[in-house]
Amino acid sequence: MTVNSQVLMYIVSEESFSDKAVIIKEGSIGDWVYVILEGRVKIKKQTSGGLLTVDTLSEGDFVGEMAMLKQGNSTRTASAVADGPVVLGLLDSVRLAQEWEAQPTRIKKVISNLIQNLEEVTKKAADMIIASK
Amino acid sequence: MTKNKEKIPPVVKLNYSKGDLIIKAGDYGKSIYEIISGKVGIFVESGGAETRVAILGPGMIVGEMAFISGNTGTRSASARALEDCWLEVWHPAILLNDYKKMPDVLRLIAGQALKIIVRMNKMVVELSLKQGKHKDRQTQKLSDQWADKRKLYRKMVSLKCVFRPANSPEELKIRGIIRDVSMGGLRITVDRLGFRNYIPIPGDELFVSTYFESNQKVNMTGKVVWLKKGGTDGTISLGMAFTQMDPDDRKSLGFFLMT
Repeated sequence: MTVNSQVLMYIVSEESFSDKAVIIKEGSIGDWVYVILEGRVKIKKQTSGGLLTVDTLSEGDFVGEMAMLKQGNSTRTASAVADGPVVLGLLDSVRLAQEWEAQPTRIKKVISNLIQNLEEVTKKAADMIIASK
Repeated sequence: MTKNKEKIPPVVKLNYSKGDLIIKAGDYGKSIYEIISGKVGIFVESGGAETRVAILGPGMIVGEMAFISGNTGTRSASARALEDCWLEVWHPAILLNDYKKMPDVLRLIAGQALKIIVRMNKMVVELSLKQGKHKDRQTQKLSDQWADKRKLYRKMVSLKCVFRPANSPEELKIRGIIRDVSMGGLRITVDRLGFRNYIPIPGDELFVSTYFESNQKVNMTGKVVWLKKGGTDGTISLGMAFTQMDPDDRKSLGFFLMT
Protein backbone atom coordinates (compact mmCIF):
# COMPACT_ATOMS: atom_id res chain seq x y z
CA MET A 1 0.00 0.00 0.00
CA THR A 2 1.30 3.44 -0.84
CA VAL A 3 0.87 6.52 1.28
CA ASN A 4 -2.17 8.61 0.39
CA SER A 5 -1.18 11.96 -1.16
CA GLN A 6 -3.51 13.84 1.20
CA VAL A 7 -1.74 12.26 4.15
CA LEU A 8 1.69 13.27 2.80
CA MET A 9 0.63 16.90 3.09
CA TYR A 10 0.30 16.56 6.87
CA ILE A 11 3.85 15.32 7.39
CA VAL A 12 5.97 17.81 9.35
CA SER A 13 9.08 15.63 9.77
CA GLU A 14 10.48 12.23 8.93
CA GLU A 15 11.94 9.94 11.57
CA SER A 16 13.99 6.79 11.07
CA PHE A 17 14.07 3.88 13.50
CA SER A 18 16.31 0.84 13.47
CA ASP A 19 15.10 -2.73 13.96
CA LYS A 20 13.42 -3.34 17.36
CA ALA A 21 13.49 0.35 18.31
CA VAL A 22 10.52 1.36 20.47
CA ILE A 23 8.51 4.03 18.63
CA ILE A 24 5.69 4.33 21.14
CA LYS A 25 5.59 2.85 24.63
CA GLU A 26 2.36 1.46 26.07
CA GLY A 27 1.17 3.46 29.09
CA SER A 28 3.05 6.63 28.15
CA ILE A 29 1.24 9.89 27.40
CA GLY A 30 1.11 11.39 23.91
CA ASP A 31 -1.27 11.87 21.06
CA TRP A 32 0.93 12.47 18.00
CA VAL A 33 0.31 10.28 14.98
CA TYR A 34 2.74 8.74 12.48
CA VAL A 35 2.22 7.31 9.05
CA ILE A 36 4.54 4.51 7.93
CA LEU A 37 6.54 5.64 4.89
CA GLU A 38 8.84 2.62 4.67
CA GLY A 39 9.06 -0.66 6.54
CA ARG A 40 6.88 -2.42 9.08
CA VAL A 41 5.83 -1.76 12.66
CA LYS A 42 4.72 -4.34 15.22
CA ILE A 43 1.95 -3.47 17.67
CA LYS A 44 2.61 -5.10 21.02
CA LYS A 45 0.59 -5.31 24.20
CA GLN A 46 1.65 -6.04 27.74
CA THR A 47 -0.09 -9.17 29.05
CA SER A 48 0.20 -11.45 32.05
CA GLY A 49 2.37 -13.65 29.85
CA GLY A 50 4.72 -10.86 28.75
CA LEU A 51 4.88 -8.59 25.73
CA LEU A 52 2.77 -9.94 22.87
CA THR A 53 2.58 -8.91 19.21
CA VAL A 54 -1.08 -8.40 18.27
CA ASP A 55 -0.70 -6.84 14.85
CA THR A 56 1.83 -5.80 12.21
CA LEU A 57 1.34 -2.58 10.24
CA SER A 58 2.97 -1.60 6.97
CA GLU A 59 3.45 1.29 4.54
CA GLY A 60 0.55 3.72 4.48
CA ASP A 61 -0.81 2.59 7.86
CA PHE A 62 -1.14 4.99 10.79
CA VAL A 63 0.58 4.47 14.13
CA GLY A 64 -0.60 6.18 17.31
CA GLU A 65 -3.98 7.34 16.04
CA MET A 66 -5.91 5.73 18.89
CA ALA A 67 -4.69 8.10 21.59
CA MET A 68 -5.60 11.08 19.41
CA LEU A 69 -9.16 10.02 18.68
CA LYS A 70 -10.05 8.63 22.08
CA GLN A 71 -12.26 10.70 24.30
CA GLY A 72 -10.73 12.06 27.47
CA ASN A 73 -7.22 10.66 27.75
CA SER A 74 -4.16 10.26 25.60
CA THR A 75 -2.52 7.26 27.25
CA ARG A 76 -0.94 4.94 24.71
CA THR A 77 -2.84 1.66 24.72
CA ALA A 78 -0.15 -0.40 22.99
CA SER A 79 3.53 -0.24 22.09
CA ALA A 80 4.79 0.23 18.55
CA VAL A 81 8.13 -1.41 17.73
CA ALA A 82 10.14 -1.27 14.51
CA ASP A 83 10.16 -4.57 12.61
CA GLY A 84 13.33 -3.99 10.61
CA PRO A 85 14.44 -0.47 9.62
CA VAL A 86 11.47 1.92 9.48
CA VAL A 87 10.87 5.45 8.20
CA LEU A 88 7.88 7.26 9.68
CA GLY A 89 6.25 10.56 8.82
CA LEU A 90 5.14 12.59 11.85
CA LEU A 91 1.77 14.23 11.15
CA ASP A 92 0.97 17.82 12.04
CA SER A 93 -0.75 17.20 15.37
CA VAL A 94 -2.05 20.75 15.79
CA ARG A 95 -3.77 20.68 12.41
CA LEU A 96 -5.13 17.16 13.02
CA ALA A 97 -6.44 18.10 16.46
CA GLN A 98 -8.12 21.24 15.11
CA GLU A 99 -9.76 19.35 12.28
CA TRP A 100 -10.88 16.61 14.62
CA GLU A 101 -12.35 19.07 17.13
CA ALA A 102 -14.24 20.83 14.32
CA GLN A 103 -16.17 17.67 13.43
CA PRO A 104 -19.87 17.46 14.37
CA THR A 105 -20.58 15.81 17.73
CA ARG A 106 -22.23 12.72 16.26
CA ILE A 107 -19.32 12.03 13.91
CA LYS A 108 -16.85 12.38 16.78
CA LYS A 109 -18.95 10.06 18.91
CA VAL A 110 -19.08 7.40 16.20
CA ILE A 111 -15.33 7.45 15.56
CA SER A 112 -14.31 7.66 19.24
CA ASN A 113 -16.53 4.69 19.83
CA LEU A 114 -14.90 2.78 17.00
CA ILE A 115 -11.50 3.46 18.55
CA GLN A 116 -12.73 2.35 21.96
CA ASN A 117 -14.00 -0.90 20.44
CA LEU A 118 -10.65 -1.39 18.77
CA GLU A 119 -8.92 -0.94 22.10
CA GLU A 120 -11.20 -3.46 23.80
CA VAL A 121 -11.06 -6.11 21.12
CA THR A 122 -7.27 -5.79 20.94
CA LYS A 123 -7.03 -6.33 24.69
CA LYS A 124 -9.39 -9.28 24.46
CA ALA A 125 -7.43 -10.81 21.57
CA ALA A 126 -4.17 -10.42 23.51
CA ASP A 127 -5.67 -12.09 26.61
CA MET A 128 -7.01 -14.96 24.57
CA ILE A 129 -3.74 -15.54 22.75
CA ILE A 130 -2.01 -15.81 26.13
CA ALA A 131 -4.72 -18.11 27.49
CA SER A 132 -4.38 -20.42 24.49
CA LYS A 133 -0.62 -20.78 24.86
CA MET B 1 -31.16 21.17 -0.49
CA THR B 2 -34.16 21.89 1.66
CA LYS B 3 -36.07 19.16 -0.13
CA ASN B 4 -33.35 16.72 0.77
CA LYS B 5 -33.45 17.73 4.39
CA GLU B 6 -37.17 17.16 4.66
CA LYS B 7 -36.71 13.55 3.61
CA ILE B 8 -34.34 12.77 6.45
CA PRO B 9 -36.34 11.07 9.19
CA PRO B 10 -35.91 12.30 12.73
CA VAL B 11 -33.86 10.52 15.31
CA VAL B 12 -36.07 7.88 16.90
CA LYS B 13 -35.95 6.39 20.40
CA LEU B 14 -36.62 2.68 20.72
CA ASN B 15 -37.11 0.46 23.73
CA TYR B 16 -35.70 -3.08 23.74
CA SER B 17 -36.28 -5.86 26.24
CA LYS B 18 -33.58 -8.12 27.58
CA GLY B 19 -32.66 -10.61 24.87
CA ASP B 20 -34.01 -8.65 21.89
CA LEU B 21 -31.89 -8.67 18.79
CA ILE B 22 -31.11 -5.11 17.67
CA ILE B 23 -28.92 -5.86 14.67
CA LYS B 24 -28.52 -9.19 12.95
CA ALA B 25 -25.27 -10.09 11.20
CA GLY B 26 -25.92 -10.52 7.49
CA ASP B 27 -28.73 -7.96 7.31
CA TYR B 28 -28.50 -4.88 5.15
CA GLY B 29 -28.64 -1.75 7.23
CA LYS B 30 -26.68 1.34 8.10
CA SER B 31 -28.61 2.85 10.97
CA ILE B 32 -26.48 3.80 13.92
CA TYR B 33 -27.72 3.42 17.50
CA GLU B 34 -26.65 5.30 20.59
CA ILE B 35 -27.24 3.51 23.86
CA ILE B 36 -29.23 5.76 26.21
CA SER B 37 -29.62 3.18 28.97
CA GLY B 38 -28.91 -0.52 29.43
CA LYS B 39 -26.25 -2.86 28.10
CA VAL B 40 -25.82 -4.27 24.60
CA GLY B 41 -23.70 -7.27 23.59
CA ILE B 42 -21.93 -7.54 20.24
CA PHE B 43 -21.75 -11.06 18.79
CA VAL B 44 -19.82 -12.37 15.83
CA GLU B 45 -21.02 -15.52 14.09
CA SER B 46 -18.62 -18.08 12.72
CA GLY B 47 -19.14 -21.69 11.75
CA GLY B 48 -22.68 -21.75 13.10
CA ALA B 49 -21.70 -20.48 16.54
CA GLU B 50 -21.77 -17.04 18.12
CA THR B 51 -19.04 -15.40 20.15
CA ARG B 52 -19.49 -12.26 22.19
CA VAL B 53 -16.79 -9.76 21.28
CA ALA B 54 -17.91 -6.73 23.30
CA ILE B 55 -20.34 -5.37 25.89
CA LEU B 56 -21.40 -1.76 25.34
CA GLY B 57 -23.11 0.61 27.77
CA PRO B 58 -24.80 4.04 27.90
CA GLY B 59 -23.24 6.70 25.68
CA MET B 60 -21.75 4.11 23.36
CA ILE B 61 -22.54 3.57 19.71
CA VAL B 62 -23.77 0.39 18.06
CA GLY B 63 -23.75 -0.32 14.34
CA GLU B 64 -21.13 2.19 13.24
CA MET B 65 -19.02 -0.40 11.42
CA ALA B 66 -21.37 -0.81 8.46
CA PHE B 67 -21.57 2.97 8.20
CA ILE B 68 -17.83 3.57 8.26
CA SER B 69 -17.05 0.72 5.88
CA GLY B 70 -19.00 2.80 3.36
CA ASN B 71 -19.65 -0.21 1.18
CA THR B 72 -22.97 -1.83 0.58
CA GLY B 73 -22.12 -4.98 2.45
CA THR B 74 -24.00 -6.57 5.27
CA ARG B 75 -23.79 -6.17 9.05
CA SER B 76 -20.64 -7.92 10.24
CA ALA B 77 -21.84 -8.60 13.77
CA SER B 78 -25.10 -8.96 15.71
CA ALA B 79 -26.12 -6.70 18.58
CA ARG B 80 -28.41 -7.88 21.34
CA ALA B 81 -29.92 -6.23 24.41
CA LEU B 82 -28.32 -7.82 27.47
CA GLU B 83 -30.83 -6.01 29.70
CA ASP B 84 -33.83 -3.76 29.07
CA CYS B 85 -32.55 -0.73 27.24
CA TRP B 86 -33.36 2.45 25.38
CA LEU B 87 -31.57 3.25 22.17
CA GLU B 88 -31.59 6.31 19.99
CA VAL B 89 -31.56 5.38 16.30
CA TRP B 90 -29.79 7.67 13.86
CA HIS B 91 -30.68 7.22 10.25
CA PRO B 92 -27.35 7.14 8.33
CA ALA B 93 -28.45 10.05 6.15
CA ILE B 94 -28.02 12.48 9.05
CA LEU B 95 -24.35 11.49 9.31
CA LEU B 96 -23.41 10.77 5.74
CA ASN B 97 -23.02 14.38 4.60
CA ASP B 98 -20.83 15.21 7.57
CA TYR B 99 -18.77 12.10 7.05
CA LYS B 100 -18.16 12.94 3.39
CA LYS B 101 -16.99 16.43 4.32
CA MET B 102 -14.46 15.13 6.82
CA PRO B 103 -10.75 15.56 5.90
CA ASP B 104 -9.37 12.51 4.08
CA VAL B 105 -6.85 11.83 6.83
CA LEU B 106 -9.53 11.38 9.49
CA ARG B 107 -11.55 9.15 7.21
CA LEU B 108 -8.48 7.03 6.44
CA ILE B 109 -7.71 6.69 10.15
CA ALA B 110 -11.27 5.57 10.83
CA GLY B 111 -10.97 3.11 7.93
CA GLN B 112 -7.80 1.63 9.36
CA ALA B 113 -9.38 1.25 12.81
CA LEU B 114 -12.28 -0.59 11.20
CA LYS B 115 -9.97 -2.90 9.27
CA ILE B 116 -8.06 -3.82 12.42
CA ILE B 117 -11.26 -4.37 14.44
CA VAL B 118 -12.49 -6.82 11.81
CA ARG B 119 -9.14 -8.63 11.97
CA MET B 120 -9.15 -8.72 15.79
CA ASN B 121 -12.76 -9.88 15.94
CA LYS B 122 -11.85 -12.74 13.66
CA MET B 123 -8.93 -13.66 15.87
CA VAL B 124 -11.10 -13.57 19.01
CA VAL B 125 -13.72 -15.76 17.35
CA GLU B 126 -11.18 -18.32 16.15
CA LEU B 127 -9.55 -18.51 19.56
CA SER B 128 -12.83 -18.83 21.42
CA LEU B 129 -14.05 -21.56 19.09
CA LYS B 130 -10.89 -23.49 19.91
CA GLN B 131 -11.27 -22.89 23.63
CA GLY B 132 -14.89 -23.67 24.43
CA LYS B 133 -17.24 -25.18 21.91
CA HIS B 134 -20.06 -26.24 24.25
CA LYS B 135 -20.61 -22.71 25.53
CA ASP B 136 -21.07 -21.31 22.05
CA ARG B 137 -23.63 -23.90 21.14
CA GLN B 138 -25.77 -22.72 24.02
CA THR B 139 -25.57 -19.14 22.80
CA GLN B 140 -26.62 -20.25 19.36
CA LYS B 141 -29.79 -21.86 20.66
CA LEU B 142 -30.78 -18.73 22.53
CA SER B 143 -30.25 -16.58 19.48
CA ASP B 144 -32.78 -18.62 17.53
CA GLN B 145 -35.44 -17.85 20.12
CA TRP B 146 -34.61 -14.19 20.04
CA ALA B 147 -34.39 -13.73 16.32
CA ASP B 148 -38.03 -12.73 15.88
CA LYS B 149 -38.02 -9.96 18.45
CA ARG B 150 -35.88 -7.69 16.36
CA LYS B 151 -37.10 -4.15 15.95
CA LEU B 152 -36.24 -3.13 12.45
CA TYR B 153 -36.07 0.24 10.85
CA ARG B 154 -39.54 0.77 9.40
CA LYS B 155 -39.99 3.07 6.45
CA MET B 156 -43.29 4.85 5.83
CA VAL B 157 -44.22 4.60 2.18
CA SER B 158 -47.15 4.64 -0.22
CA LEU B 159 -46.36 1.98 -2.80
CA LYS B 160 -48.82 0.24 -5.08
CA CYS B 161 -48.54 -3.52 -4.92
CA VAL B 162 -50.31 -6.67 -6.06
CA PHE B 163 -50.56 -9.78 -3.97
CA ARG B 164 -52.18 -13.21 -3.84
CA PRO B 165 -52.15 -16.23 -1.54
CA ALA B 166 -48.78 -17.94 -2.12
CA ASN B 167 -50.44 -21.20 -3.17
CA SER B 168 -53.05 -19.72 -5.53
CA PRO B 169 -52.80 -19.39 -9.34
CA GLU B 170 -51.08 -16.31 -10.68
CA GLU B 171 -54.23 -14.89 -12.25
CA LEU B 172 -55.59 -13.94 -8.86
CA LYS B 173 -54.42 -10.39 -8.21
CA ILE B 174 -55.40 -8.24 -5.27
CA ARG B 175 -54.35 -4.61 -5.38
CA GLY B 176 -53.20 -2.81 -2.30
CA ILE B 177 -50.94 -0.08 -1.05
CA ILE B 178 -47.87 -0.79 1.07
CA ARG B 179 -47.93 1.72 3.95
CA ASP B 180 -44.75 0.77 5.72
CA VAL B 181 -41.99 -1.76 5.24
CA SER B 182 -38.94 -3.05 7.13
CA MET B 183 -36.53 -5.94 6.67
CA GLY B 184 -38.95 -8.02 8.74
CA GLY B 185 -42.28 -7.33 7.11
CA LEU B 186 -44.78 -4.83 5.80
CA ARG B 187 -48.23 -3.34 6.23
CA ILE B 188 -50.69 -3.19 3.34
CA THR B 189 -54.03 -1.43 3.08
CA VAL B 190 -56.68 -2.75 0.74
CA ASP B 191 -59.94 -1.00 -0.09
CA ARG B 192 -63.15 -2.81 0.68
CA LEU B 193 -63.60 -4.11 -2.86
CA GLY B 194 -60.12 -5.61 -2.88
CA PHE B 195 -61.14 -8.72 -1.02
CA ARG B 196 -64.07 -9.71 -3.22
CA ASN B 197 -62.64 -13.14 -4.07
CA TYR B 198 -60.47 -13.94 -1.13
CA ILE B 199 -60.34 -12.91 2.49
CA PRO B 200 -57.04 -13.64 4.22
CA ILE B 201 -56.79 -14.89 7.79
CA PRO B 202 -53.73 -14.70 10.07
CA GLY B 203 -51.31 -17.46 9.15
CA ASP B 204 -52.04 -17.31 5.40
CA GLU B 205 -48.97 -17.00 3.27
CA LEU B 206 -49.07 -14.18 0.70
CA PHE B 207 -46.94 -13.46 -2.33
CA VAL B 208 -46.49 -9.69 -2.82
CA SER B 209 -44.98 -7.85 -5.80
CA THR B 210 -44.13 -4.18 -5.98
CA TYR B 211 -41.70 -1.75 -7.58
CA PHE B 212 -39.21 0.13 -5.39
CA GLU B 213 -37.80 2.09 -8.29
CA SER B 214 -39.65 2.58 -11.56
CA ASN B 215 -38.11 -0.51 -13.13
CA GLN B 216 -37.13 -2.63 -10.17
CA LYS B 217 -39.65 -5.32 -9.40
CA VAL B 218 -39.41 -6.97 -6.00
CA ASN B 219 -41.19 -10.11 -4.80
CA MET B 220 -41.77 -10.93 -1.17
CA THR B 221 -43.42 -13.87 0.55
CA GLY B 222 -44.73 -13.60 4.07
CA LYS B 223 -47.33 -14.72 6.59
CA VAL B 224 -50.28 -12.59 7.60
CA VAL B 225 -49.84 -11.66 11.26
CA TRP B 226 -52.87 -9.46 11.83
CA LEU B 227 -55.87 -7.93 10.03
CA LYS B 228 -57.71 -4.77 10.98
CA LYS B 229 -60.73 -2.95 9.62
CA GLY B 230 -60.01 0.74 9.51
CA GLY B 231 -62.21 3.84 9.32
CA THR B 232 -65.65 4.30 7.81
CA ASP B 233 -64.55 3.65 4.23
CA GLY B 234 -64.11 -0.07 4.91
CA THR B 235 -60.40 -0.14 4.24
CA ILE B 236 -58.65 -3.21 5.59
CA SER B 237 -55.08 -3.17 6.90
CA LEU B 238 -52.97 -6.26 7.14
CA GLY B 239 -49.59 -6.86 8.70
CA MET B 240 -47.28 -9.42 7.21
CA ALA B 241 -43.98 -10.96 8.40
CA PHE B 242 -41.61 -12.09 5.66
CA THR B 243 -40.97 -15.81 5.44
CA GLN B 244 -39.08 -16.03 2.16
CA MET B 245 -37.26 -13.65 -0.12
CA ASP B 246 -34.84 -14.04 -2.99
CA PRO B 247 -31.34 -12.71 -2.02
CA ASP B 248 -31.48 -10.07 -4.77
CA ASP B 249 -34.89 -8.88 -3.61
CA ARG B 250 -33.64 -8.80 -0.05
CA LYS B 251 -30.74 -6.66 -1.15
CA SER B 252 -33.07 -4.30 -3.06
CA LEU B 253 -35.19 -3.96 0.06
CA GLY B 254 -32.09 -3.25 2.13
CA PHE B 255 -31.05 -0.43 -0.19
CA PHE B 256 -34.57 0.90 -0.38
CA LEU B 257 -34.71 1.19 3.41
CA MET B 258 -31.41 3.06 3.50
CA THR B 259 -32.40 5.78 1.07
